[in-house]
Amino acid sequence: MQIKLKFLVGMALLFCFVNAAYAQSIRITGKVTQKSDGQSVPGASVALKGTSQGAVTDVNGRYTLNLPQGGGVIVVSFVGMGSVERAVTAAGEQNFVLEDSNKALDEVVVIGYGTQKATKVSGALSVVKSADIQRQNPVRVEEAIQGRAAGVTVVQGGTPGSNPTIIIRGIPSYSGSDPLVVIDGVQQSLGDLNAVNPIDIESLTILKDAASTAIYGIRGGNGVILVTTKTGKKNMKTELTVNSSYGVQEVPRYMPVLNATEYGAMVNEGSVISGGNPVFPDLSVLGTGTNWQKEIFKVAPLQQHNFGVRGGSETVSYYLAGGYTSQSGIVGRSDKSRFDRGNFTANIDFQVAPKLKFILNTTGVVLHSKGIQENSFNSVIGSALNFDPTVPVLNTTNTVGKYGYSNLILSEIYNPLTKLDNTYNTNTGSKLYGKFEAQYDILKNLKLTSRLGYTKYDDNGKSFTPLVFYGPLNVDNSLNADGSTVLDRHNTVNHGKASNFNYSWETFANYNFKVAQDHNFETVVGFSLSKETNNGAGVSRQDVPFNSWTFADYRSATGTNTATNPAAKDGYYYEGFKRNMSFFARLNYDYKERYLASFSARRDGSTSFGEDRKFANFFAGSAGWVVSKENFFNVQAIDLLKIRGSYGTVGNDITPPQANGITTGGPDYGPTANSNGYNFSNVFYPGSTLNSTVNPLLGWETQKQTNIGFDLTMFKAKLSISADYYEKRVEGLIFYPATALPVGTIQIPAANIGSTKNNGLDLSVSYNTNLSSAFKLGNTVTLTTVKSLVTATNSDGTAKIFGGSYFNGQSQSVTVFQKGYSPFYFYGYKTDGLFQNTAEIAAAATQPGAKPGDIRYVDINKDGVINGDDRTNIGNPFPTTILGWTLTMSYKNFDFNMFTYASIGNDIYRAYERNGNFTNKPRSILARWTGEGTTNDARYPRYTFTDDNSNIRASDRYIEDGSFVKIKNVQLGYTFPSILRGKIFKSIRVYAQVRNALTFTKYTGFDPEISGGIFDTGVDRGSYPQPRVYTMGLDIKL
Amino acid sequence: MLITSLTACKKWVQNDPHDRYLVTDQDYLQSESDYRTMAISVYSPLQWLNQVTVIGDIASDNSVAGGESASDVLPLQQIDDFTLTPVNSTLTDLFQVAYEGVNRANYLIQYKDKNKAGETVNFNGKDALFGEIYFLRAYYYFTLVKMWGDVPLFTDGRYDNNNARATKRAPKAEVYAQVEADLKAAIAVLPITQAQQGRITKYAAQALLGKVYLYENKFTEADAVLEPVITSGAFSLVADYASIYLASGENGPESVFEIQYTNGSPYYNWGGATRGQGNYAVQQNGIRGISGSAAMPYAAGWSTNLPTQDLANAYSAGDQRKDVTAFNIEAYKTAHPDYGISYQVAPYKNTGLYNGKYLPRKGETSGQVELNYLNNFRVLRYSEVLLMAAEAINRGGGDDAKARGYVNLVRRRAFKDNNHDVATSGTALKEVIWDERRRELAMDGDRFFDLVRTGQAATKLTGFVTGKNEVFPIPIEMINVTGIPQNPGY
Repeated sequence: MQIKLKFLVGMALLFCFVNAAYAQSIRITGKVTQKSDGQSVPGASVALKGTSQGAVTDVNGRYTLNLPQGGGVIVVSFVGMGSVERAVTAAGEQNFVLEDSNKALDEVVVIGYGTQKATKVSGALSVVKSADIQRQNPVRVEEAIQGRAAGVTVVQGGTPGSNPTIIIRGIPSYSGSDPLVVIDGVQQSLGDLNAVNPIDIESLTILKDAASTAIYGIRGGNGVILVTTKTGKKNMKTELTVNSSYGVQEVPRYMPVLNATEYGAMVNEGSVISGGNPVFPDLSVLGTGTNWQKEIFKVAPLQQHNFGVRGGSETVSYYLAGGYTSQSGIVGRSDKSRFDRGNFTANIDFQVAPKLKFILNTTGVVLHSKGIQENSFNSVIGSALNFDPTVPVLNTTNTVGKYGYSNLILSEIYNPLTKLDNTYNTNTGSKLYGKFEAQYDILKNLKLTSRLGYTKYDDNGKSFTPLVFYGPLNVDNSLNADGSTVLDRHNTVNHGKASNFNYSWETFANYNFKVAQDHNFETVVGFSLSKETNNGAGVSRQDVPFNSWTFADYRSATGTNTATNPAAKDGYYYEGFKRNMSFFARLNYDYKERYLASFSARRDGSTSFGEDRKFANFFAGSAGWVVSKENFFNVQAIDLLKIRGSYGTVGNDITPPQANGITTGGPDYGPTANSNGYNFSNVFYPGSTLNSTVNPLLGWETQKQTNIGFDLTMFKAKLSISADYYEKRVEGLIFYPATALPVGTIQIPAANIGSTKNNGLDLSVSYNTNLSSAFKLGNTVTLTTVKSLVTATNSDGTAKIFGGSYFNGQSQSVTVFQKGYSPFYFYGYKTDGLFQNTAEIAAAATQPGAKPGDIRYVDINKDGVINGDDRTNIGNPFPTTILGWTLTMSYKNFDFNMFTYASIGNDIYRAYERNGNFTNKPRSILARWTGEGTTNDARYPRYTFTDDNSNIRASDRYIEDGSFVKIKNVQLGYTFPSILRGKIFKSIRVYAQVRNALTFTKYTGFDPEISGGIFDTGVDRGSYPQPRVYTMGLDIKL
Repeated sequence: MLITSLTACKKWVQNDPHDRYLVTDQDYLQSESDYRTMAISVYSPLQWLNQVTVIGDIASDNSVAGGESASDVLPLQQIDDFTLTPVNSTLTDLFQVAYEGVNRANYLIQYKDKNKAGETVNFNGKDALFGEIYFLRAYYYFTLVKMWGDVPLFTDGRYDNNNARATKRAPKAEVYAQVEADLKAAIAVLPITQAQQGRITKYAAQALLGKVYLYENKFTEADAVLEPVITSGAFSLVADYASIYLASGENGPESVFEIQYTNGSPYYNWGGATRGQGNYAVQQNGIRGISGSAAMPYAAGWSTNLPTQDLANAYSAGDQRKDVTAFNIEAYKTAHPDYGISYQVAPYKNTGLYNGKYLPRKGETSGQVELNYLNNFRVLRYSEVLLMAAEAINRGGGDDAKARGYVNLVRRRAFKDNNHDVATSGTALKEVIWDERRRELAMDGDRFFDLVRTGQAATKLTGFVTGKNEVFPIPIEMINVTGIPQNPGY
C-alpha cells in the first residue's frame, strides 16, 4: 500500500512537472559559481539532504529554497563538478562555490554489472560521451563510435538504417563479429542499436580486453558495448531539450564509365577481334547517350527531430523522450529506399522505500524501411554501371514500359530505372524493450539487484513482384510488348511477419567493503538465465489486380492453386529458440587507489553445444599501478599516471543448435537446395533424406587476451593519453568448414576450425585548452592498429575456406582463410603485364588460349603451367591502421567541430563488373592494349568478345588500393547570446553541418568504405555509397 | 534444493531437437514406409544431373551454346569451345550433385540391415528396393567417371567432410569395378517390370551395364548382358520416331530408362535451378521470343543449345529423325503459315536449328516456368540397346550379320523402309554403327562421351586436345578443399 501510494505520488509529480514544496519557514537564496573561472553555474541542484526538497539554479546561477524550521544540510551538485555540503540553520544569502572536478579523475564509468571510478579501472575500455555522439548527429549510434574509440573498427554502409560492420580489436570470430550490446544492463544485439535514438544515450563504454568482458563470458567474445541511456537525477529541476535538423543528401561522386560513342567503339572492337561484324556501323549517331548513374542517384532528405524532458524529485526521477528520424535513400528516394524511426522512451526510477529502488525503463520504437536490391552486378546500382549507355532514358517506341530498353543486353541486367520502378516493398517493425529492475540495499554496502530485461520485436513486411516488360528481345519478360501477360507468368505479393521475444533474468549482489581502512573491495556475484525465441509466418499470392502495388494484398490478389500451379497461394511458418545460463563473479580490489587488481569469473551453459561441452568457465584478471599516487611521485605536471595489465579468457557460442535431421518432402529452398522426392508415372512422391548433421565435438570458441597499457593525464587534464597493446589469440574458431564437393548438398555443421592471433595498438590522445577566455580548442586523436594472422586450421594446416563470391559470367570467389596468412586475404592470380607477341607467349608458362594482348599470369609454383595452383596472396582487405581525429574549437558563441577518419592499408576488390560483351565498362578500358607496345599494364588487356585466356579470372587486375581519408563531419554552430534567451530558453543553438564532406582516396569506385560480412570485406559488388549530407539544425534547451 | 536447481539448470541448456519439431536419424528408418520414402530421394539427384545431357551434345559436334553473346552462359560456351578452366559453375554443380546421389545411396545401404537405432526392419520387396539403390549408385559413379576420369570413391556411408584432406582420386578402373559390382547386385534382385513408370527395372540395369562394358571395351561381357534385354521381347521400336519425344511418348514401348520430370510439382528456386521436378534443359533449347497463334505449340526459351548444320548434314534424305533432332524453324514456319510464327534468332552462334526433341511447349510447365518443363530425358532406349549390342558383337569379333541385323532394325524404323539397310562388316560396320549412334541418339546427351570412348574426339572436334579434353577439369572448389590433383592440361 505504501509503495502504491508513493508510486501514485510519483506519477502525479511526473505529469505535473512540479517539484514538491512544503511548509515554508526558512528561505535561503544565493548563487552557485564555478571555482576555476568564477562563472555562474546554471542548472545546479540545490537540495536539502534526506528530503525531496530542492531547487535548481537559474540561468544566472541563482536559486531560492525554503527550508523547514531548524534548517538542514544543503547539498549542491552539478554534473562534472564536486558536490558541496553545508549545514544551514538560518535564512539569508548562501553562496556556494563548486570545485571543477578534474573530470578525468573523478569520472565514474559503467562496467559489466556495476560502475567503477575511472581511475580504478585496470582493464581496457573506451568511453564515448553524449556530447560526442550529439555532435555527429548520427542516424545510428555506431557512427559516433567510428574513429572515437580506439581499437574499434566501424565500417558503415550507405543503405539507410543498415547495420554497420563493427570489429573490436581484430576479427575475433567468424560466426559473427558483432559485439554484445548491453543497454542499461540488458543484453541485446547490435541490430537492436537501430532502434536506439542516439540522442537518448548518456554514454557508451566499449569493453575491449578480456578482463572487462569476461564477466559476459560467452557473449563477451566480440567485445561489449555498454549503452547507458539518460535518466533523471534526484531533485533535478525539469530540463526540456528540443533538437531538430534537416539535411539533404547527395551521391559524392560518379564512377567513370564509357559514354555511348565510346561504348559503341569498344563493342565494335570486341566483336571484330573475335571474328564478328561491327555491332554499331555508324558511331556518329550515338552521341554521349545516357549515364545511368545520374538517372538513379537523386538528392534525398534526411531529418531528425527529438525532444527530451528530465528531472526528478526525492523519490522519483525520470527521463522522457520522443524522437523521429527519417532518412530517404539517394537511390530511389523515399519511394523505394528509406529508413524511418519513431521512438518514445520513459526511464523512471522510483525510490519506493529508503532501501528499495525500482527502475522501469521502457522504450517503444516504430521502424519503417524500404529497400532496393544491392551488392551485385545486376542490382540497381550494379545495373547503372553495367547497362547499355546507348539506350535512351524513356521508352520512345510503341511498347509498354516507361523506360528505354536495350536490344543488345537481353537478360540478367535491365534498365536500372525499370528495375527501380518495379521494386516494391515495405517493412514496418515495432519494438518494445526495456527492463524492470529492483535494487535492494540489504546492508549499507550490500546491494541486491534483480533485473528482468526484455526485447519484443515484431516485424511486418510486404513485397510485390510485378510483371515486367524489359524489352522486345529480352528473354526474361513477364509482360509482352503489348502489355499482355507472358504465358504462365504471374505477379506475386508476399507478406511476412516475424516475431522475436528475448528475455533475460539476472540477479546479482554487489558488496563493497573495506579492510583496515585502505584496502577497498568491490565485489559482485550473480546468475543469469536467458532465452531467445523467434517465429515467423508468411503468405504469398499471385495475380494482384492491375499488376499494381496499390492492390498488392493477399486479399485482393486472385490467384488460386491448380494442379500445375499449386503455389498461387502459399505460406510458411518457422520458429526457433536458444537458451543460455550463467554464473558470474568479480572482485575489484585497490589499496589506497594506488594498487589495483580485479578478478572475474563466469560459467556459461548453452543449448548450442554438444552434450559434453555444454558448460565452460571463463576467468580473467587485471592489475594496475597508479604511479602518480605514490608518495615518491612528485611530478607537478602529471595529474595521473596509471600502468595497467590484464589477461583472461572469453568465448563465443554464436551458432545454432544442431541435429541429425531427416527432411521429408519435395523441393528445398534452403541454401543448398537439398531437394527430395521424385515422380513415377507423372505423380509426385515425396522422399526423405538426411538434411543436417551434428558435430558432437563442437565446443566453445575461446579467446585468450593479454593487454598492457597506461593512462596519463597531464597539465590539469589538458592532455590525456591512453595507450594499450593487446594480443588476442582465438582458439577453436567456430564457423562452417569448407565443404568438399563430395559432401553433396547436405548442410554441414559448424566446427571449431582454427586459430588466429590478433595484435595491435590502441592509442587515444586528447588535448584540450583555452587559448584565451573566449577561444577554446580541443583535439582528440585515436589510432588503432590491427594485425591478424591465421595460426592454425585443420591438423595439417592445409585447409582453406573460401569467401567473397561474386559473378562476372562465372561464379568466382576471391577471399580465403588459410594458415599463415591474414584471415580472408584476397586470393587469386598475380599478373605480369601483357603478352606483346606470340614469342612472349611461347616463352612463358603454358597458358591455354593466350593471344597477344592477353594477361600474362605469374607461374607461382614454377611448374611451367598456369593453373589453380598458381593463385596466391594478391591483397589484404583489412586496414593496418585506422585514425580518427576530432577537432573542436569554440570562440565566444561560435563552436566548430570537425571529424576526420582515415583507413590505411586496405585493398578493395572490384567485383561489380559483369564483363559481358554488351555490358558497359569502366572508362579505364580506353587504355587497353591495341597492338604490340601499346601498353604492358595488366589492368588493360586487349578487348575481345571471346575471352579464351580468361582475363576475367580473379586476379590482381581487379585489386585497388582502398586506403582513404574522409572528412566525415564538419559542423559550425552558433549559440545565441543570453539577451535573446530571456526567461523561456536556457540556450538556443543553430548549426550547419556537412557529413562525408570530402574523401581522399585512389579507389575508383563510389566509396572505399564497404560494409559487409567478414568473409566479404573489401569486395565491392556495387555497394550503396554513403551520401554527402548538408544539414541545418537547431538545439533548444528550456 | 541445490540439486533440484542444478538439474533445472542442466535442463535449461539441454539441446533436444524434438523441441524444434525435428525428425532425427534416431527416429527414422523404423518402418517399411520410411525405407521406401528415403529410397525415392535417392532418385532425386538423377534429375539434378540435367546438364550432363546438355553437355554431352554441346561439347561435341552436335550442338553449340548459342545465347545472347560470347559472355552469355559462359560455363557452356567454355565447354563448347574447349576453353575450359577449373572455374565452371555448371561442372561444379554436376560434380556435387552426382556425389549427393552417391551419398544418399550409401546412407540407405549403410542402414539396410540395421537402422540407426540398431533394429532390423524387414518387409516384402526390401531386396528389390535395394536393387534400385544399387543401380542409382552405379549411375552416379558412371556419370562421375565418364566426365572426370579418376574420382574419389567411397561406398561406406556419407562422405566425411572432416577428412576432406585425406580424399584421394581412385583409378578409373576401380570406379568402373564398383559400378559393375553395383549393377550386378541390382540385376540379381530387380524385377523385370515395375508398377510405377520410372522405377528401375532389371532390363534398365542390364542395359546400363552393357553400356558401362562398352566404355571399358569389354565387348563380350557387353553383348552377354545386352542380349537378354533384346530377347526378352519386352521392348519394341516406335514407328513414329518424333512421337517418342512427345509427352504422350514418355515411358513408351521403346523406353528402357528415362529420367522422370513433371510439371506437377512446380518449383521456384533459381538458387538451385535443376533441383525441382522439372527439366531445366528444355528452357535452354527454346526458340527466343517465339510467338504465334494459339494453335502454335511452342513456348519461348533461351536458345543456348543449338544443333549444328553438321548434325543436320549427318542425316540422309528420308530419315525421319532429322526434322525432330535438328528442328529447322524457318522450314517449320513455312510449313505452317497459319501459325503466324514470329521469333528472334539467337544473337550468338545461331544455326537456325533447334533441339526438337526437347523444345518447350505450351502448357508443359508450371510454377517458375523456366524450371518446370515436364519432358523426361530418354536416357536408354531400346534402339540404343540394339546399337550397343551390334557394336559389342562387331568389336568383340562376333557375328557381323547379327550386328547388322540390329543396326538395320534401327535404320528401317528411321527410314520407314528396308531400302537403307547396311551391308558392310568389320571396321566399316563399326564406323556405320558409330555414325548410326550419332543420328539415333543426337541431342540425348551421348555424343561427346561416345567420341571420347571411341577415340574419335580429336578428329571430329575443333579445339579438342588429346590427353586433356577427354575429361573435364576437376572443379576448382574441389581442388581448393581437398588438394587432389587436377586433370592434366587444366
